[in-house]
Amino acid sequence: MKARVVNLMTARPSAFAVGLAVLLLIANVIAQPDFIAPNQIAPTLGTLAPFVIVGMASTLAFLSGGGGIDLSIAPLMGLVNIVLVTALLGTTFGTPLLAVPILLALGALVGAINGALVARLRFPPVIATLGMFFVVGGLDLRLVPNPVTAGPNWTNHLAGSIGPFPGAILTMGFPLLLWVLLRRTPYVQSLLAVGDHDATAFSAGMNVNAVRISAYALGGLIAAVGGIALTGLVRSADAQVFNNYILVALAAVALGGTNLMGGRGGLFPSMMGATCIFLLENLLTSLHASAYFIQVAYGGVLFVAVLFGSRLFHREAVPA
Amino acid sequence: MANEPVAPAPPTGGQVSRPAAVVLEVSGLAKSFGATQALRDCSMDLRRGEVHAIMGENGSGKSTLVKILSGVHRPDAGTITIDGEQVAHLSSPREAGAAGIVTVFQEILAAGQQSVLENIWLGSDGLLRRRVPKDERVTRAREVLGQLVALPRLDVAANRLPLSERQATCIARALVRNPQVLILDEATSALDVATRERLFGVIDRLRSEGASVLFISHRMDEVEEIADRITVLRSGNSVATLNRGEATPRDLVALMTGIEDAPAELRSEAAGRPDLGAPVLRVRAVRLHEAGAPMDVEIRAGELVGVAGLEGHGQDAFLRVLAGNRPAEGAVTCAAGDEHREVQSPADALAQGIAYVPRDRRTESVFESRSILENFQIATVDRDRRNGLVLRAPAERRFERYVQTLKIVAGHRTNPITSLSGGNQQKVVIARWMAMQPRVLLLNDPTRGVDAGTKRDIYRVLTDAAAEGTAIVMLSTELIELVELMDRVLVFREGQLFTELARSELSRTRLVESYFGRKAA
Repeated sequence: MKARVVNLMTARPSAFAVGLAVLLLIANVIAQPDFIAPNQIAPTLGTLAPFVIVGMASTLAFLSGGGGIDLSIAPLMGLVNIVLVTALLGTTFGTPLLAVPILLALGALVGAINGALVARLRFPPVIATLGMFFVVGGLDLRLVPNPVTAGPNWTNHLAGSIGPFPGAILTMGFPLLLWVLLRRTPYVQSLLAVGDHDATAFSAGMNVNAVRISAYALGGLIAAVGGIALTGLVRSADAQVFNNYILVALAAVALGGTNLMGGRGGLFPSMMGATCIFLLENLLTSLHASAYFIQVAYGGVLFVAVLFGSRLFHREAVPA
Repeated sequence: MANEPVAPAPPTGGQVSRPAAVVLEVSGLAKSFGATQALRDCSMDLRRGEVHAIMGENGSGKSTLVKILSGVHRPDAGTITIDGEQVAHLSSPREAGAAGIVTVFQEILAAGQQSVLENIWLGSDGLLRRRVPKDERVTRAREVLGQLVALPRLDVAANRLPLSERQATCIARALVRNPQVLILDEATSALDVATRERLFGVIDRLRSEGASVLFISHRMDEVEEIADRITVLRSGNSVATLNRGEATPRDLVALMTGIEDAPAELRSEAAGRPDLGAPVLRVRAVRLHEAGAPMDVEIRAGELVGVAGLEGHGQDAFLRVLAGNRPAEGAVTCAAGDEHREVQSPADALAQGIAYVPRDRRTESVFESRSILENFQIATVDRDRRNGLVLRAPAERRFERYVQTLKIVAGHRTNPITSLSGGNQQKVVIARWMAMQPRVLLLNDPTRGVDAGTKRDIYRVLTDAAAEGTAIVMLSTELIELVELMDRVLVFREGQLFTELARSELSRTRLVESYFGRKAA
């Protein structure tokens, strides 16, 4: 029994998060039966989406290894939200067909700058992306010192429903679909190899810098998707709201089961990690737990998950 | 090094039977790292369908040559000609691979969490486009790995494989590229016997198919078995290229050391110093790795013991075990009065008077942002405490003694240590540990990269310390140092103690012979 559990966990690093998410979902339904009422599903997913998307966006830097981390994902999501509301909506560029590509390009650009700082200029990733965190966060505040309300627009559907379907399926589905497509190319495998052992990847003829830079760029692109989803949810341009997502993004990755040292993991595990955090918060709120206690619970779950994960990674390696 | 090699290099070109076409030729390659001239003047050519061995002792430039040919280093001077076309340099392993040159490095380079299959095909695809179809990946990987290991497993993570199979995976990665030139840099050292035999079969086949192999090995028997020609490097120069059977192992050793057999070189005072004290350090059944043979060594007070071998054969690990710096099976004990205390951590070692001068000055021993005096004082700072304050004057007085004996050339004592030359920094580090008045002084290649004058100063201080009863264990990569300085030398090979040479047996030739696995004739 024990061996089987361990084997399952090894083959599927996200098993812990998936199991926990199922348990939390059941607990939520027991505590609050209308949690799964048909008219509740779309708005609930709309609230979940930014959590999941920042989690996925943060995963790429971790996967690329070399101490990779991207702290600027949350403020970048805020920037996309602000640019969308204050500069695009209401202009000719405000239609989805024009706004989405522009915003994705903005996200990818900021991510690529992070990647270049890390891979080309050899900045420690924490420092490079912390700098970007302050630059982008400051820019956010400069652009909208006070929240600017957005009129009704197409993003509202993304946080609500598109016909019979929850709009969040689109926002969360897009990065996942992108990832699934990339898995069919050698890209994901190269990313994992670079994150696993960059000297090996280099000696095998891989372009380590190109892989790393593109990983950060892809993270930025997904952050832009998060910014669009967030706009639908908050219906305004707000330079403060991203603060709620900074640490959750990192916690989601760790909880999901991605190896924070690189080389193993993916977007699905982080999606599960983010879902766990969301469900946990929701459960404790509906049980009227204090906000402080919710934070303590986050931390506890994170400890357990990482402990579990590190044991696994440890168990696997045969010493040389 | 005025003596000419015993075996003359064969004349190149102009022979009756025309040699096979040359696929790779290097000429006048040179490369330096800072003050160290790793490669001075290296020329050689590799013919189509030949196995060409490169031999040389530590620091002869073997690995620098390999790294230039595989696109890791860029040469300072010299030319590389591939298939008759001169290239400026190879700027990355990717570019080398595109030119048909693929290298298997001594260090096992595997992405541990990825499957064996992925490891074999690593780097052969573009960023987004697959160049090898999926079915072919599996069949080809199984076929190639199957030539090396009995039961190839493709879907396990590489870090779950035993060492030998992991290295076989790295070799398979090179083989699936159908290289025109395959470079094996000590690639056999991690292989078990059966895999090694199979690899030799593969090399034979490659040769008959017209590929060329550049073969670097520390094993004379392997080289004799497989190489068509041998190029010997010494101090960064290519000194000779010999055909198969043209030279005996003895000749090769002579070429590598640059001297004929030299009994005259043996020290005149044949016996060790008579006044060796009681054993201070005992090594009991220590094994440096799982498969290594356990070893027993005893170090006596006042003894100068050399630790030697080709780079990476366990001598560094041995020294760190003595310093409590590396866990190992077995026990290291230090005599403390009548009892023997075990050394299990650097703190244990220090408490029992074992001092360690590490190999890498910059990362392991010098505090670059601190002053000369602070760098000296750090090991003995306890003596300068008065009422909770640290005094500078006693440390300065203590330091002066070593400034004289070690001839340290330093400006004001509060200048940063980085204001000193590398050699003087090393002297300060040695002074730091000598000031502790250790019973055992361990030194890990202390004269690496320092000038001749500094070396002499260090030798004198060490022999004086030994005469006063300090046991000294010193890893050295310089033959002359081992021969001239040591009472005996422990030679390591393949992660275990290979042999011990007493002072009366010490010569450069004997040392290099034992590096390459030959016991006394």
